Amino acid sequence: MGLRQKILDSRLYRDFIQRKATGPLRTYYDVPAADPERSVMETEFIALDLETTGLDPKKDEIVSLGWVIIRQLSVDFSSCEHILVRPTKELSESSVVVHRIFDSDVADAPSIEAALEHLLPQMAGRVLLSHHAPIELGFLGQACKQFFGAPLQIPTVDTLVLALRDIRRSGETMKSGALRLDTLRRNHNLPPFRAHNALSDAIAASGLFLAQIAKRDPKGELELDRILR
Amino acid sequence: MSIELEEIAEFLKQHHPFDLLPDEEINALPKRLSARYFRAGTKVLSPEEQCLHLYIIRTGGTETRDPNGQLLARLSEGECFGVRAMYQNGRAANNITTLEDSLCYLLPEKDFHALTGKYPQFSYFFAQMGGERLRSGMQLLESRDDDQLKLMSVKVSDLIARELVSIDTSASILEAGQLMSKERVSCLLITEGGDGVAGIMTDRDLRNRVIAKGRSYDEPVTAIMTEKPISIDPDQYAFDALLTMTRNNIRHLPVMKDGKAVGMITTNNLLARQSLSAVYMAGRIGKLTEPEEMAKVIAQVPELLSHLIEAGATSQNAGHIVTTLSDAATARLLQLAEDEFGPPPVPYVWMAGGSQGRQEQTALSDQDNCLIIDDAYNADQHGDYFKNLADFVCDGLNKVGYVYCPGEMMARTDEWRQPVRTWQHYFNKWIEQPEPKSLMLCSVWFDLRPVHGTKSLFEDLHRMIISKAKDNRIFQAYMVGNALSHHVPLGFFKNFVMIRGGEHDKTLDLKHNGVVPIVDIARIHALANGVEAVNTYERLNAVKAFPSISNQGASDLLDAFEFISITRLKHQVRQIRRGEKPDNFLQPESLSAFERSHLKDAFSVIKNLQGALEHAFGKSGT
Repeated sequence: MGLRQKILDSRLYRDFIQRKATGPLRTYYDVPAADPERSVMETEFIALDLETTGLDPKKDEIVSLGWVIIRQLSVDFSSCEHILVRPTKELSESSVVVHRIFDSDVADAPSIEAALEHLLPQMAGRVLLSHHAPIELGFLGQACKQFFGAPLQIPTVDTLVLALRDIRRSGETMKSGALRLDTLRRNHNLPPFRAHNALSDAIAASGLFLAQIAKRDPKGELELDRILR
Repeated sequence: MSIELEEIAEFLKQHHPFDLLPDEEINALPKRLSARYFRAGTKVLSPEEQCLHLYIIRTGGTETRDPNGQLLARLSEGECFGVRAMYQNGRAANNITTLEDSLCYLLPEKDFHALTGKYPQFSYFFAQMGGERLRSGMQLLESRDDDQLKLMSVKVSDLIARELVSIDTSASILEAGQLMSKERVSCLLITEGGDGVAGIMTDRDLRNRVIAKGRSYDEPVTAIMTEKPISIDPDQYAFDALLTMTRNNIRHLPVMKDGKAVGMITTNNLLARQSLSAVYMAGRIGKLTEPEEMAKVIAQVPELLSHLIEAGATSQNAGHIVTTLSDAATARLLQLAEDEFGPPPVPYVWMAGGSQGRQEQTALSDQDNCLIIDDAYNADQHGDYFKNLADFVCDGLNKVGYVYCPGEMMARTDEWRQPVRTWQHYFNKWIEQPEPKSLMLCSVWFDLRPVHGTKSLFEDLHRMIISKAKDNRIFQAYMVGNALSHHVPLGFFKNFVMIRGGEHDKTLDLKHNGVVPIVDIARIHALANGVEAVNTYERLNAVKAFPSISNQGASDLLDAFEFISITRLKHQVRQIRRGEKPDNFLQPESLSAFERSHLKDAFSVIKNLQGALEHAFGKSGT
């Protein structure tokens, strides 16, 4: 991790941006961040996935969000949420093809601002969990800056990064597709999943995460710090 | 509900007992679950540990051991553990360890009890596992609601409540009436020369044939008795007795052993056990006149089968009961045919072959039957009558639900509607000049059982078949060759646990890979040793006494037969419950690891005894 990222993740930086934050982001920062020295078992995670119209947070938009909460290393399905977001621009053809979300589906959906008002309290005090987190962090950070005056800082675990560490540690050569969510799940004897939407991906990542933790420490006593990205 | 949670609901729907829950309930279930993951070798629960959830295995497998380390079960995908804890205040009873990396869904205790409280079927499944009701044979027999099974396990001889009351043919009506009054019986057996049975007299006969007719009490009792009454053997089951009475509309049934009366049973002996759907179904068939109407009754057979299997019936019980209904439909159609075409010009007997002959039918059966006609048969004079009769019955059976035999082994085929002499000729040829084609017929025609008509026509033929087959080593060796052509799928299991994806479309044919080879082995030993039985259990039990198979071998084969048969029946019941058409193709992943290992053992037994067969009889042909 570079020095710049270390600064951005620091407590000091958090105190700085907290003061600029408004609305639900302000409330989010009022809750202390998850303690990196506590055990994974005692930490709550929010497994989150976004679907977007493209890969550039500055140009593209979020079309849907899905999440589920993990407590005591147990995925709580009662906490599942899936939200479609009304984009400001018309959906591009390529985006419709990928996500199969049409303009008509999202005509009555909440704005991204309203969606974040719902999501941010769920993230407060928890650790973000995602497969390839830069997408989620990039888009949510951009949106926070745009609507609530400050960037988003949240301790994050990336299942893709954990998988990469596993492969490096095993000394095996990386095969193509080895870091894909479905490949990784199969390798951990998890059931096949069909990538339908943001929620199915979030749940798929949460299962993979449990398997990755079980491999490191079946009792979940290892410190959060050791798995943060 | 989101699509991802829908997948969890779909998973639950595929597994017993969740498949018993209504859709709205099962769709609401995923939201109440949580998921946990355990590495292989993780101890998930220990005795006395707190356990506030029912664990449903999503992927992977676990092992259950009691506090002393004794292996109790191996569970795999779709099975549950933590059941005992649900019934003992959230305290785990056993050690649960994962055998593979496993993902489990956890259902909270309160949600579990909400479901068991609401759905008795669901609750029943767990109650058995939870040890509320230990599942032992004795308790099964004593529990309240399985009268049907009781009747299947109680022999007629056990039903005889008191000494037989009888009177000699020389007695008068008055003397008979006085004896009945003194002995407080509703029925009297009329004997001739000690214990030869001449007839039977009931209090109904006194009313209808004496008082109503103004007959003198001094007349001999023989004037009003029913001669040569229908009787039953003491070794038959209570179920058969009730069936005989229902079918013939009689209320008293003499029990006869070797031509001597040994007792009497009445409907009162049996009436206490009245919730007998199979008997009622058979009785109903006996009153119907249209095959389409009978079809409605027979359509309930799958339901009956589910009920029997869930109540813990053995496959032999189930086979016997299901076959009884085929017999009832066959006999009824023959009565109707005789009404239509008149009484038979010469005696005949209608024979069931194949699984109906062996009394081993399951939910799906086609018809195998033939007609053996008295040698007074003359094709020119009588040919049309029996052709019409056979067409009527075979067409009727087809309409009722027993589809035409694809191999045309039916009485409506000219070749299989022949006088005794022709059948003798057939069997002579099959036994003395065996050839592959004729061996194909053996599985049907060496398992014959008379269903309706003059049974003595078959008895002589049967004796001839038994004595010829017993002495013919070449025939036996051909039969062995044929039996060994059914391969046992042991290789299938070898890598089973390791196989992931790709291979899963493979299924196991429980009929041709499991049931048929055992039936074949039993048939060979029975024929070679002159055993007359055709039912596979009876054959295997009978051949224990002969040197061609070891006692242990026969016992092992009986166990294997029961296990494979019941696995097949349970598979069919699951399909019936899901509204699918039952078949014989099992996906091995639908079994628990424990069942899989049992099944593998059962196949090993077959393999060994196939080998022993060759050793005992040699092998020829195919």
